[in-house]
Amino acid sequence: MKSVLIVDDAMFMRYTLRRILEKNGFQVVGEAENGLLGAQKYGELLPDIVTMDITMPELNGIGAVQLIKQINPQAKIVMISAMGQQHLVREAILAGASNFLVKPFSDERVVQVLNSI
Amino acid sequence: MSEILNEVVQQEEDTQKGKFLTFLVGKEEYGIEIKYVTEIIGGIQAITEVPEVPEYVKGIINLRGKIIPVMDVNLRFKKEARDYNDRTCIIVIDIDELSVGLIVDNVAEVISISDADIVPPPDARAGFHNRYIKGIGKIGNEVKLILDCQRLLSTENLEDLKYIN
Amino acid sequence: MDKSLSKEPMLEMFIFENLQLLEQLEQTILAHEKERCLENAVINEIFRIMHTIKGSAAMMMYDSISSLAHAIEDLFFYIREFHPDEMDYSKICDMVLDGIDFIKNEIGKLEQDQEADGDSSPFVENIEQYLLLIKEASANSNLINEAAARPAGLQKKFYISTSKSPPTENIKRYHALIYFTPGCEMENIRAFNLVHKLKDQAEQIDYLPADIIENNDSVEFIRENGFAVIFTTHLQQEAINELFMKEAFIDSLDLRVMEDEEWEIEQLRARNQIILEDEEPTISNNRAKETGANLHSGGSRQSLINVNVDKLDRLMDMVGELVISETMVALNPDLTTATRLDNFHKATRQHRKIINELQDIVMSIRMVPLTMTFHKMNRIVRDMSKKQNKNVELVIRGEETEVDKKIIEHLSDPIMHLIRNAIDHGIESPEKRAGLGKSPIAQVYLEAKSEGGDVYIILRDDGAGLDKEKILERARARGLIQKPDSNLSDGEIFSTILLPGFSTCDEISEFSGRGVGMDVVLKNIEAIGGTVLVDSAPGQGTTISLKIPLTLAIINGMRVKVGNSIYIIPITSIKESFKAQRGDVIVDPNGKEMIMVRGECYPVLRLHKKYQVKSALEDISKGIIVIVQNDSGSICLFVDALLGEQQVVVKALPKFIGKIAGISACTLLGDGRACLIIDVANLINPSKS
Repeated sequence: MKSVLIVDDAMFMRYTLRRILEKNGFQVVGEAENGLLGAQKYGELLPDIVTMDITMPELNGIGAVQLIKQINPQAKIVMISAMGQQHLVREAILAGASNFLVKPFSDERVVQVLNSI
Repeated sequence: MSEILNEVVQQEEDTQKGKFLTFLVGKEEYGIEIKYVTEIIGGIQAITEVPEVPEYVKGIINLRGKIIPVMDVNLRFKKEARDYNDRTCIIVIDIDELSVGLIVDNVAEVISISDADIVPPPDARAGFHNRYIKGIGKIGNEVKLILDCQRLLSTENLEDLKYIN
Repeated sequence: MDKSLSKEPMLEMFIFENLQLLEQLEQTILAHEKERCLENAVINEIFRIMHTIKGSAAMMMYDSISSLAHAIEDLFFYIREFHPDEMDYSKICDMVLDGIDFIKNEIGKLEQDQEADGDSSPFVENIEQYLLLIKEASANSNLINEAAARPAGLQKKFYISTSKSPPTENIKRYHALIYFTPGCEMENIRAFNLVHKLKDQAEQIDYLPADIIENNDSVEFIRENGFAVIFTTHLQQEAINELFMKEAFIDSLDLRVMEDEEWEIEQLRARNQIILEDEEPTISNNRAKETGANLHSGGSRQSLINVNVDKLDRLMDMVGELVISETMVALNPDLTTATRLDNFHKATRQHRKIINELQDIVMSIRMVPLTMTFHKMNRIVRDMSKKQNKNVELVIRGEETEVDKKIIEHLSDPIMHLIRNAIDHGIESPEKRAGLGKSPIAQVYLEAKSEGGDVYIILRDDGAGLDKEKILERARARGLIQKPDSNLSDGEIFSTILLPGFSTCDEISEFSGRGVGMDVVLKNIEAIGGTVLVDSAPGQGTTISLKIPLTLAIINGMRVKVGNSIYIIPITSIKESFKAQRGDVIVDPNGKEMIMVRGECYPVLRLHKKYQVKSALEDISKGIIVIVQNDSGSICLFVDALLGEQQVVVKALPKFIGKIAGISACTLLGDGRACLIIDVANLINPSKS
């Protein structure tokens, strides 16, 4: 079972993702509400996959990707983006994100992306 | 998950279907659907009287920290008050999130009555007055009066009485 | 099953979180509006909150909310990126506040299990138009920016890589045409991601459309025509195929080896429109800044969790049970037969101490600071003063004071009402204030403090004050006062403005005093066991104090015996108790009993009569008199005996019983018996409730 860390400042989104993931055979090992805590938790938990929101307080998703990549260059990170964030997603990819999802997304898409990496 | 839950509930309902708890009030034997009954308290514990309620509402009791009202079924049926003794019981029923204790003279047994053996009560013109009876169940030669719990607890009724008082 | 709990947890969380965000946003805006400029941090916060709301609403398919949040997000994106000079901050704040109101209202509907069916398009249009306006304005004032504007129209060009070497034997050139899964969104970035991954394995990568990042039309192009990539690699076709198909959202892939001639023709066609690819695209400046910012500030919110109030209520109940069962153990009648109980008593003392601490902790969990409630008032003050052209400053003190969560819910409306009234009727126009030598900026103080077992919420304004004569005249005309003038204190006169019927709606326009809907205030505060006091000085302002019990859940009660029944009288309302002599009682012609205490006359209420209790004492001299009071008066209660003080857990009367005049709630005694709690306010003034 793949372990997942959810990083998102919106409780609602964390909850929604957790529900989708747990329903589809992933193990959610942790949640974090900003990029900084996300990177910290990554170091503690070393999950197989991270879902990473982009717009967050303290440290945004791209900064968090950069930090996580320093901890583990092989880290698998899926960005959770919204319409209109093309540039940021691109930066996240350059920083090392594996793939991305665009809100609103269906359960199916989440599973597709997480299984592909 | 919810499907499993539904199934369990379904099963429970199935096993409870057609089962009635029978008890005595005066000389008559009544039955209520077992699904409404949450527990039976033997003997009468201290009842705290409450002002401004109809006579049949005897007051409130403490049921493991929950405060529930109790009514005397005898008085509810406008029959003469009877003294409570060691056979007197409180049947706690739960309908639509409302818990109420029914004071009855004696609890008899749990019996099964199939739908086919339940007939509607005779109407008032035939001289039948108890509006809390929703059916009459036949077990061999015996007859049990099946109570309409909803009507028994109808609070609008209680409100009405409060104004009259 | 409880219906309130059955709301889908996702929806519940959506409502909870977004209302909190909106509240936070509103406060931020109000706090900064006056500064006539928005700091970067504030702009960022607005942007971020709107972004979050947009995302969550889109997931829940609340399109009107999501599109409005998107419009505001866009507006603040522009403001953040381009810092336009020509901005009307007041208008921007209005627009955001209107947006907040709309979304709040929609969420309110969801809370009531209704559809969020509002139409946000007028707001969206308004915001978009304004965004266009400031874009144009800054374009005119800053022509240099135009050079940076993005090229219009889609450039159908291949990128030509800067490093070039012809394919060798082992290295082949491939052409791949990729279609993405319909609806996967941001196809251009997915294409970019593919290219990015390809870089590790391939060289001389060219692709069509070329400007996949800069031009959003490329999305449409990719959807219709697919994404074409040409590259050279030492990998075998199968390996490449696998590499592509492993990616998510690839609908179809057409991969073939490309011959050199074909490639050269392709190159020739592209010759006139060559763009050189940068080795590593630069990250736009402000984003890099955002990325690096605040690396050192930790997350302080981490230690907070959200708990359903119902769960807290249950916990509270359980602790209440624990308190009772402890008493049942410690005072168990079986113990009287035992001879030595020293160790037992020691153990129970310790037990009780722990339970008391537990009770304190549980109570404190339920306590919530008034901060949110108080800060909500900023908006009211802002809107009211804007509408009435008055200059009013809200001064908030003691917002950290904590009250029970249940009480907080009852406070918002009364405070809002009082503030509206203060600004509407109390505060004078700036001209008038200037004429009176008052500061043109009026002040409304909102203060909270706790004293003893109560919390005081005090609202003071420096307006015109109440007109005593006018109020008296009116109260008499409406039959609200019976006593002669000389017996009335100022407080009593002012308090009549709180009574229902003091003023009616049709008179709002011409009546310049206060009292419009003030009975709502009284009703709300009394519902939570509080009282309202009014004081005023002409020309200097009015002070209204709300006195609120600290917690609803546990009260100190006096157990009193009436016949075989026991009742609880809240200690806070007991003034004194005494034995009366038969001769102290006076009976008026209507049979009403009264008693003189130190020259004052109190009506006597025999509880056994009031509650139809049998076998109670009838003889006044044998029982005991308890004087109870609240702000509307005092009364003597006649009971058989006082049994002692006790903390009791307040429980609502069963729904089946409903509301009973003179009884506020019930509780359980140490011996497990249920017992009724006396509603003192109702006994003193039955007509009020």
